[in-house]
Amino acid sequence: MLGAPNGRDGVRSPMFVLSFLIRRLAQGAVIIFLVSLLIFTLLRVVPGDPVRLMAGGMAPEALIEEIATKMGLRDPIVVQFGRYMGKVVQGDLGQSFVRPANGAATGGASFNDATRGERAEVLDLILETLPMTLQLAATALAIALVFSTALGVAAGLNPGGWIDKLAFYVSSVFISLPNFWLGIVLALLLSVKLGWLPAIGYAGYSYTILPAIVLAVELSPVLIRTLSSAVAAQMGQSYVAIGHVRGLTLPRIVLNHALRNASVPLLNVLGVQFSSLLGGVIIVEYIFDYPGLGLLTINAVLQRDFPLIQGIAIVTSAIFVLINILVDLAATSIDPRLEY
Amino acid sequence: MAAAVLSVRNLSVDLALAGRERPILKDISFDMRPREIVGVVGASGSGKTVLSKAVVNWIEAPLAIRGGEVRFRDRDILAMAPGEMRRLRRDVAYVGANPMGALDPTLPVGRQIVEKIRAVAPEIGGAEAARRVVELLEAVRIPSAKARFHDYPSQFSGGMMQRALIVDAMVSNPTLLVADNVTQPLDVTVAAQVIRLMRELTERFETAVLFVSSSLPVAREAASRILVIDDGRLVEEQPTEALIASPRHPYTRELVSQVPAIWREAPAVPRGSNAERSAVVSLNDVSQTYRVRKRGAFAGASELRAVRRVTFDVFKGDSFAVVGESGCGKSTLMRLLSRLERPAGGEVLCEGQDISKLSGAGLLAFRRKLQLVLQDPFDSLPPRTAIGRMLEIPLRVHGWRDAGRIREKVRAVMNDVGLPDALYEELPTGLSAGQRQRVNVARAMVLDPEILLMDETLSALDQTEQFKLLALFEKLQREHSLTYIFISHDLAMVRKACNRIAVMYLGEVVELADNDRLFFDPGHPYTKALLSAMPTLEERRYRPEDCLLEGEPPSPIDLPTGCSFRSRCPQAFDRCVRENPLLTARGRTDLSSCHLVSSPSAIAAERASRSTGT
Ligand code: SF4
Repeated sequence: MLGAPNGRDGVRSPMFVLSFLIRRLAQGAVIIFLVSLLIFTLLRVVPGDPVRLMAGGMAPEALIEEIATKMGLRDPIVVQFGRYMGKVVQGDLGQSFVRPANGAATGGASFNDATRGERAEVLDLILETLPMTLQLAATALAIALVFSTALGVAAGLNPGGWIDKLAFYVSSVFISLPNFWLGIVLALLLSVKLGWLPAIGYAGYSYTILPAIVLAVELSPVLIRTLSSAVAAQMGQSYVAIGHVRGLTLPRIVLNHALRNASVPLLNVLGVQFSSLLGGVIIVEYIFDYPGLGLLTINAVLQRDFPLIQGIAIVTSAIFVLINILVDLAATSIDPRLEY
Repeated sequence: MAAAVLSVRNLSVDLALAGRERPILKDISFDMRPREIVGVVGASGSGKTVLSKAVVNWIEAPLAIRGGEVRFRDRDILAMAPGEMRRLRRDVAYVGANPMGALDPTLPVGRQIVEKIRAVAPEIGGAEAARRVVELLEAVRIPSAKARFHDYPSQFSGGMMQRALIVDAMVSNPTLLVADNVTQPLDVTVAAQVIRLMRELTERFETAVLFVSSSLPVAREAASRILVIDDGRLVEEQPTEALIASPRHPYTRELVSQVPAIWREAPAVPRGSNAERSAVVSLNDVSQTYRVRKRGAFAGASELRAVRRVTFDVFKGDSFAVVGESGCGKSTLMRLLSRLERPAGGEVLCEGQDISKLSGAGLLAFRRKLQLVLQDPFDSLPPRTAIGRMLEIPLRVHGWRDAGRIREKVRAVMNDVGLPDALYEELPTGLSAGQRQRVNVARAMVLDPEILLMDETLSALDQTEQFKLLALFEKLQREHSLTYIFISHDLAMVRKACNRIAVMYLGEVVELADNDRLFFDPGHPYTKALLSAMPTLEERRYRPEDCLLEGEPPSPIDLPTGCSFRSRCPQAFDRCVRENPLLTARGRTDLSSCHLVSSPSAIAAERASRSTGT
């Protein structure tokens, strides 16, 4: 049929997509490398000795030195980094300093070498929590998109009308709500008072909804404003006016054309917003004790769990790179004039 | 006589902006019969575009209908409910002057035309609609229509897009088509194709066409009857030939008399022979090449050869014209002549000096000697600077210090170009297009230049203003012994104003000749095609059937082998594929590059042409 994206329906030849992907993935690899180097160096210059934390306050100085040397923590940073990246490229993110393979974090005194072998693989820890966070992010994004599209498009179709004003006020209010405050209020209201939704911990999908709402509120203002101004701009284009004269119906013009064009700036904003979403995830997961990557990050930082922090940094920057590639690819396939 | 398809009765439209209310259309009445092409002509601002919009019921704020009816098949469409009007769009179609903005840039053209069919005629299936679109794209001679169906608007040239939009309008077999200035953005040869196409289509689909145009000769090409609109009023209505032969209303008479004569009169600017004069500007084998990035490739660039081995001389006192259609390299040539760019090969000499080697004082002197008058009078004036000050700036840049003398000079120049003294302290915002162009000319003239380089200087103006400015140029040339170089696509203007003409095609000069020779005895098939496509009020010397071109120029990135014109040349033969013709002398002063020009020794001729330049 017509319009199927498989035919010649577009200038995006496979060659173009391939060259685009290779170019962007190569750039992405450089970005990830730089992020790793930065985090790795920072972690080793900040105060706080991880071995001291692992071994516990009572361990003798000599033993700590011995463990540290054995773990390679007294080698020059460049050497450590080289060794680390060598493993990373083979898919080995190392082992957690503090977490045993079977679950809860190991605490102070269990420093004897026997437990070393049972420390958790960083990759496993991340793979366990990542799906939870992706589920949260996807739900938040879906809520934010539905809400912002409804409000933003309606506002953009009537610039200066009451919906436009409403959209403006809503996004102004949303943007000024601190997410931790909103999280606590919503938990009190919807969970404690009304008992509609569970709030703390995780025991099924319904536990995702409340934190997702908090994140969606954080995301929405920018989306609403982007959409309403993009739709308003598109409705002023001559192809819209001429579309009426050509006999197209208003819904067709809006849905098929104005929204399609307006989605390009929206996609770009989404790509950028993704990083602030990551920041929000950490706080929201912490508030709701949601077992995702954010909570893992906070705990890893509190425990000076270097390998885990590094692993999370690498994985999130990889996700960031991938999402931006996807966003650009989607934008170029919507608007063939774009070139990245 | 068949019943009218369209009857406009006492139509009045106002501009309804608070505080600036004024009538735009006053009491317009006319009829159109089936299959008739009716022309509407008028100056810019006369209200003809508003009329074309009113006929398709597209009057939006701040415009408002004040009275009257637009009866289509005996029903007033202005009184229709929006839903009903939308269904009527199948029968009342519209094509406007700006083809590039008319479709959604993010969807393939064919798909959007199919969408339109399905919107106005839902009973036609998708596959059937697509078949019809491809068929019509072929009918309007879009090459490889099946593939083009899937291309995006940005991949179409202006002319191709305009044809696609005509397909969009005709695809539902409308009874009435309103064509508002459709040929305005197009090159002459393409515009001629589009007009011919519209005439064919009216016969094939029995469509009546309201053909709105700002140019009387263009309307004459298309229409069998012409309405003349002046200041919102219908002042005259006659069959085309009668209107041109015996215009009744004073405005129409003025309009007809201002259309430049092509073959009837000798050009107004005879010149002495070149032997007695010195060359002020010479181009010696000048080439310019740009590198453009290849789309969708890792690396690598293509070469765009914008100007190829151009050689000519401009003599003192000449009005030299460089003509050609969009993409022929004339704008690049303008940038080379004014040293905005340096050539990739060859040299541009100004009074014997290679201008790319100039610097410091020499460059400043060159910049004073050669002044540029730019294309668009609406964009090139700073809006917040008083006109007098604007004219003072170049003087200050070139070292004038005495405020009294500067003022005196500026007043003298304003006087010269016909700007009243009172405008000295005014901002340019209130000026008409013609006055703005005069300010531009004055800006160039304050430095007492010897050469004025005019880049499409007159093309934004309507006939009347053009007429006045040409008279001004002539006066200035006489009084200040100026040399003009016009870069233009407008052959009628060139015929009137220039004595020597270079015709460019795909970066090459294909013909170089004196005015009379070029118009009466063109040596190159391309020149002939340009002349045959030129709208005029006179009887044609060259029949479009014999020399009109099909298609559009190939891309300057992929030049054809042999003669670069051969893909469109009606006279191409096998030698043209193998060999690129050289510029060959035809008589003492004229040159043309075509194998059909017989000459004993092309190379000798080329050498001769070079040696006159140095
Ligand atoms: S050389 Fe051949 S193709 Fe070129 S203009 Fe002459 S006849 Fe036409």
